[in-house]
Amino acid sequence: MTLVLESQLPLLIVMLVLGTAAKVATVTSGGEPGSLSRLGPAVLVPERWQAPALLVCAAGELVLAAGLLLTTHPLFRWGTVGFFALSTYVLLELRRRRPDAGCGCFGEVSAAPVGLRSIGRAVALAGMAAMSVWATVPGWQAAAAPSWWTAAGVALLAMLSPEIEELIDRVRYRAPCEQRPGPAESVTLSRLRSSGAWRAHRGALTSPEPYDTWRELCWRFFAFRNHDDDDVVFAVYLSGRRPAVRVAVVSSEDSDSLPVYTPVSA
Amino acid sequence: MGHPSVERRRVLSAAALGREKGVPGPDPGGGEPLRAVAGEVLDVSPHLITIETPGGAEERLVIAPWATAWHGAEVAPADLPAGSMVLMRALRDGRVVERIWADTTRITGTILSIEGRKDLTVELDCGPHRGHRTIVIPYRSSGRLQVRHPKFEPGYLFDAIGVRRDGASLALLPATSQPPYPARSVPPPPPAYAGLQSRIAGTATWSDAFDEDERGAGYPMLERSDTGCAQTGVSCAGLPYLALGSLLQIRNVCTDRTANVPVVACGCVAGRFCDRCVECDTSPRGRVAELSPSSYVELGGELVKGCFNAQLGLG
Repeated sequence: MTLVLESQLPLLIVMLVLGTAAKVATVTSGGEPGSLSRLGPAVLVPERWQAPALLVCAAGELVLAAGLLLTTHPLFRWGTVGFFALSTYVLLELRRRRPDAGCGCFGEVSAAPVGLRSIGRAVALAGMAAMSVWATVPGWQAAAAPSWWTAAGVALLAMLSPEIEELIDRVRYRAPCEQRPGPAESVTLSRLRSSGAWRAHRGALTSPEPYDTWRELCWRFFAFRNHDDDDVVFAVYLSGRRPAVRVAVVSSEDSDSLPVYTPVSA
Repeated sequence: MGHPSVERRRVLSAAALGREKGVPGPDPGGGEPLRAVAGEVLDVSPHLITIETPGGAEERLVIAPWATAWHGAEVAPADLPAGSMVLMRALRDGRVVERIWADTTRITGTILSIEGRKDLTVELDCGPHRGHRTIVIPYRSSGRLQVRHPKFEPGYLFDAIGVRRDGASLALLPATSQPPYPARSVPPPPPAYAGLQSRIAGTATWSDAFDEDERGAGYPMLERSDTGCAQTGVSCAGLPYLALGSLLQIRNVCTDRTANVPVVACGCVAGRFCDRCVECDTSPRGRVAELSPSSYVELGGELVKGCFNAQLGLG
């Protein structure tokens, strides 16, 4: 019986940590200002409090998750029950007052309007938290010995999570590479430096840092100078882990003709 | 990181990808070429106009018999006052003038404050590059402007065409129907599921934040690190990322003229407008480029109308 009581603890911890991470990511990535106003409990507070409200909520979840993981203190156990019970109430209230707003449980992934599944999930989580109150071991011990009850909990939560479908849709229908924000400049530069084209031309460059870099469509360009004062320009494709790299050497005085042109693929 | 020359980028990227490097300027196949001529009026008669160009040279141009002029209202070309700054659409290698806009200015930005009872004084935020600007809406045009700006309050967008008079900018005509959202919440672009379409349709506008005879465009979808502008990279037209120095191929659908125009500025204010142009048909939403007045006129655009339906390709 004790196995049943503690079986849902790992799930609660994972859900709380995921919620924290997604909320922090939503606030820090910012998106467009104003986008938070469509999300969850944040719509119920004035606009300038929205980001702090989301962050306070994230911090609370993190504290609860840490407490559940490391201790058996009833404060965290009952706190979790209270948190999910409160969430259920907030979601019901949100559905009544702002039917257009998403639950924001996992940041901007949860932008779809609050439905019965989101509410059902909050109820289920509250139930799981209540079940775990009398568990005798802390979360890390429960996580070390998973049971079929844990698997059943995962299946129940997956069934009640509209976010999973949203994530699958996002992977299936991504905006074309040209319209997506690319990886950071430094990431692309390190991908360039692991390519064959870079190794072939590295010796000729005066400096390992590019003097100019820019992005056009799905390519990022890095311009260097070599010892003959010609321009060496690398083009790195922005998607993929080992992207295509092309390189050309352009004489600096003559901008019209291209004396050396060597396409190389990594 | 310095920008030694953004024009050099075009040469380098064309070399790296092995593609043709485009040439800025109008497409030769687009009918009789138009030239935009800018300058300050020295003297004007019914048939001849003498101007001083920004380079300091004096030029005499023939005024076509059918020519018209705009100086706050339609006027006869001979009535233009000496000393006004004009932009002219000229035919035949820029010798024969058929349309003159005098002291025309475009006022685009976010409303910061509105004061006054009859003549309204409006302070606008014209974006990080252009700073704040205070304009006056005369009482006689305030009704016409407000009818197209239903959210006439701070935080909302404003776009009007007017004249510069005695150092002040007077807004006279609305340049668009104001978008209904606050300036900072631009709607996201429509989802694009397939690969990039080769041409993007939208509206092309003009701005007077360029030099008088500069040819170029502001483009909304630039990288923030490239332009040093924290507000760029916003557009509701589903535009691809480009860089300063990229060459845009812009086609004016209304006049069927095409030109290659380099990206020379950040079009962060243009990107906030999710509006349509109804110049010859109804365009899809979103401003795809903000042209310099000379480029706009050479594509057959009418400054007073404020926009034309455009298709955008990569030159």
